[in-house]
Amino acid sequence: MKKRNLLLAALVLASLPAAPALAGWKLVPHAKPIAVAKGTLTVTPDADWNRWSVRPIKKGEVWTLDGTGLNEVYFVSGLIVGETLYRDADKKNRPLPTLTKGMTLTDIPEFFESSNRIALNTSLFTVTGVEPAKMGERDAVKFNYEYAVEGSPLKRRGMAIGSLSGGVLYLISYTAPATHFYEQNRAKAEAIMASAHY
Amino acid sequence: MALLARSLRIVLAALLVIQPVLVETARAQEAAAQPAALPVAEEETYKPVDKDERGLWMDTEEGERQLKASQQVIRDPALNAYVRKVLCNLVGQGKCTSIRLYIVRTPDFNASMAVNGAMVVYSGLLLRTQNEAQLAAVLGHEYTHFAGHHGLRMFRQVKEKSAAAAWLAFTGIGLIASFSMAASLFSYSRDMEREADSGGLALMAAAGYDTREASKVWEQLRAEMDATAAVRNTKSRKDKNGGIFATHPPTAERVTNLAQMATANPGVAGATGLDSYSAAMGHWWPVFFDDQLKRNDLGASDYLLAALAQQGWSPWLLYARGELYRRRALGNDIADAEKFYSQGIEAGGELPELWRGRGLARLKLERPEDGKTDLNEYLRRSPDAVDKAMIAMMAGETR
Ligand SMILES: [Zn+2]
Repeated sequence: MKKRNLLLAALVLASLPAAPALAGWKLVPHAKPIAVAKGTLTVTPDADWNRWSVRPIKKGEVWTLDGTGLNEVYFVSGLIVGETLYRDADKKNRPLPTLTKGMTLTDIPEFFESSNRIALNTSLFTVTGVEPAKMGERDAVKFNYEYAVEGSPLKRRGMAIGSLSGGVLYLISYTAPATHFYEQNRAKAEAIMASAHY
Repeated sequence: MALLARSLRIVLAALLVIQPVLVETARAQEAAAQPAALPVAEEETYKPVDKDERGLWMDTEEGERQLKASQQVIRDPALNAYVRKVLCNLVGQGKCTSIRLYIVRTPDFNASMAVNGAMVVYSGLLLRTQNEAQLAAVLGHEYTHFAGHHGLRMFRQVKEKSAAAAWLAFTGIGLIASFSMAASLFSYSRDMEREADSGGLALMAAAGYDTREASKVWEQLRAEMDATAAVRNTKSRKDKNGGIFATHPPTAERVTNLAQMATANPGVAGATGLDSYSAAMGHWWPVFFDDQLKRNDLGASDYLLAALAQQGWSPWLLYARGELYRRRALGNDIADAEKFYSQGIEAGGELPELWRGRGLARLKLERPEDGKTDLNEYLRRSPDAVDKAMIAMMAGETR
């Protein structure tokens, strides 16, 4: 198997044990503001989450409640022009799109969709709703999506919020299996998004 | 090949685990001493002869059951009926009825046929073959592999060579996903490829197609690879074996051989089946192209659009071109995109997204009033659009 983006390998294959005691995962306590993804994006979760020590990209960070296969939050803080949303693991054959100059809020769902289709190697990815939102004081876009990885019967659902300031991207996404798990923890993910500012 | 490759993995993995090495070596020698005597004409009634082959069949059938349930299979009866009709024209009604056809939505150029008669056609193939004769060329090629028991012969060869270790590298995420991995390890021999090319071309000729279209399929692929490389500023992969094309390298030699065969056996000159193909794909091309567009391969996408536009730039093709340039957004791309959307609208296009694309482009071109007018027109034409709330905000409406 080709070396892939670690995040996506986790998305596709793994349901990692998330006991904080295990190497690689660190507890994020609830009700305390915390800066994520080595940037200025700050959130205050209303539940205890687990942070993965592996960063899919320098400006990215992964959280889960009980395994990335069951629920996953991905943060990106401060992505600039020319950078990719995930690690550009197969740049030669399947390059990910890069953030381009002049992007506006409506471009964020398109950028997210294309990045995911390529990284997950699937055509079964649909954006199901796009609406205006706020990230702190700033204008943002909120969108929903669904996808299945090729060859797998499992459907996943997600929502994301993205904001741009001076061409720099801040994004939070929440992804979980569509049946049961998505709804189960949606409120906790929404609490993170509602608390976000940068 | 996905079905077969996956099956090989499972069967060979099982062999490795259960059988001591010596036993396996003995089996391999036995197999080498008894060259395959396979029935050729009665391929659909072929029954596996030994335990390994029975295992191969069972795994292939299990793979097919998974494929049947996959969300990726396109179930549109009209599209399936059309591709089946082309296949039946080629191989004859009798042989065609036992073949199960699966059209899967994935933007790569590919088709395959498993040992048990399950045929898989990728939507990326249907986007790339430009007429019915070209589709027939690929289907005929795959059918010849099947009828000649090439998969089974490969299975036996792999067993003989004990190259089983290679198969353990598979992870088996799923049937389709395993294909691209399988492709880099597994390919038919050159002889089998030649046989499939000539067999496929003979079927085309007998069915009354212009056989010159066969070499064009591969010529187009080579040109597309050049286009990809030109935009990415890399070296074209057209003469490189490996990756997704490992099973079927689009070599210059293949193009030349097929062109020569076509001279010897021309079929019916001019019978490309362009009209029937365009009619059958009309509804699906925008969907297949959208999948291609989102792969971030501007060179190939632009090439494919130009190929589709040989009969003229229809409104949806102009729309697709606008999307391609708007998403890339380098240099003059946004201004070009705006022009393509306008041309699509002027050509009578009614797709609401023409106004969405142009509106967004015009906002970026600092024409806010024109942009808002377009976005409102989009909402008027597509009141239930998934992005209506966002676009309404940008169009300056109160929600
Ligand atoms: Zn072949």
